[in-house]
Amino acid sequence: MTGNVQMADLKNTSSKGSKILGTSSLVGFAVLLVLAFFLTDPDIRFHPETGEEFGQFDAVRLLYLHVPLISVTYLAFIICAIASAGYLFRRTLWWDSLAHSSAEVGTLTCALVLVTGSIWGRPVWNTWWEWGDVRIMSTLILFLLFLGYLALRRAFESPQRAARPAAVVALIAVLDIPLINRSVEWWGNRTLHQKSTLSEFKIEDLTLFTLMFGILISLLVMTWLILHRFRIAWLEHVEFEQGVQAAIEERRQIDSKENQR
Amino acid sequence: MEELTPRQDRIHKKNSKLLPKLAGVLLLIAVAIVLFKTLGNASLFFYPVDEAVEKRVELQDRRFRVIGVPQPGIVETVLGGVQVIVFTLCEGDVFADVVHEGDPAELFNPGVPVVLQGVWIENDPPDLEKLLNPAKDGWHIKTDSMVVKHDNDYRSDRAELESCDSG
Repeated sequence: MTGNVQMADLKNTSSKGSKILGTSSLVGFAVLLVLAFFLTDPDIRFHPETGEEFGQFDAVRLLYLHVPLISVTYLAFIICAIASAGYLFRRTLWWDSLAHSSAEVGTLTCALVLVTGSIWGRPVWNTWWEWGDVRIMSTLILFLLFLGYLALRRAFESPQRAARPAAVVALIAVLDIPLINRSVEWWGNRTLHQKSTLSEFKIEDLTLFTLMFGILISLLVMTWLILHRFRIAWLEHVEFEQGVQAAIEERRQIDSKENQR
Repeated sequence: MEELTPRQDRIHKKNSKLLPKLAGVLLLIAVAIVLFKTLGNASLFFYPVDEAVEKRVELQDRRFRVIGVPQPGIVETVLGGVQVIVFTLCEGDVFADVVHEGDPAELFNPGVPVVLQGVWIENDPPDLEKLLNPAKDGWHIKTDSMVVKHDNDYRSDRAELESCDSG
């Protein structure tokens, strides 16, 4: 990573494009909430023999947030891993900032995945949390690994020194994603989590539309957040470089005065 | 050669970065605990009903988890002063009678798979004659923990219930 900052003219994190993206994200999210909580039907079925109602009832509405959130969590961490690999090859600020930004956004969405899953699990599974459940635990491990990644990034005085070990941690942590995704198939008798609905086409009509719309809007929100976080990371770097330059200049002046004496 | 290293307060430098390092160590410990609980928690492993019946002697006196489909005909009764529900759990063509203590799950319903935790007891459950399709094999599973394993079907009119061959 060099001290040459190519985006030194960047003064804040906003731009015309980011404003359009942000507005679209917020409007889309509002529409998603209306679809999820008002327009779609609750999951109610009738038992063919007893005629009793069963299903997830209104709890199903949380899935319109939970599933899109895990989708963007995967994507954010995969972007982080690709950017980390990019950094290890190219050693540029751009790759490092992208890795850092996507890791922060991914960690946030991963936390929301765990929270929404827990809230959904209480009425549907009859438990807030299940220690030992392979899907829940592997997701928690992913969250903790990326929390560790973020802690590591702050553990060094210089951001440049943190970049390389952080990139290695990201490349290791991302290996948990296929494990999470396939856990319901590989360890079916160690998880309460259901198998994939989308891959088995067990969803249709407005339910399917709302879920896909939720994924699209979550992608927009994720892109918007990463864009702003990337620009913050860049400005932080500019500030750090300016601080280093100022310190060098100060030291030069002190040495110059001492030499003159 | 000009020495340009910026002067810094070393004590301040050490303290300012102590917290993230401490957080990192604590997170590593947290990951280790989670891994230990995940890999070590054999109790979460659940047997399908047919396997639980097959390993009945081996499992006797041991708490275990079993997954199966509750059959229609759930009986509420009192056993030893405790409110219980009695029903039959199945997997394929294998059935097991169950006596469950405590509140059932909110979504507990015939046809929706449940994971129960308990022990094998060598006698028939109470009110056996009221069950529609009992295993009636001189055993029942006495359980006190119930979670629901919901299916992945969101087609309201075409979703199918888990069913068993009648015994």
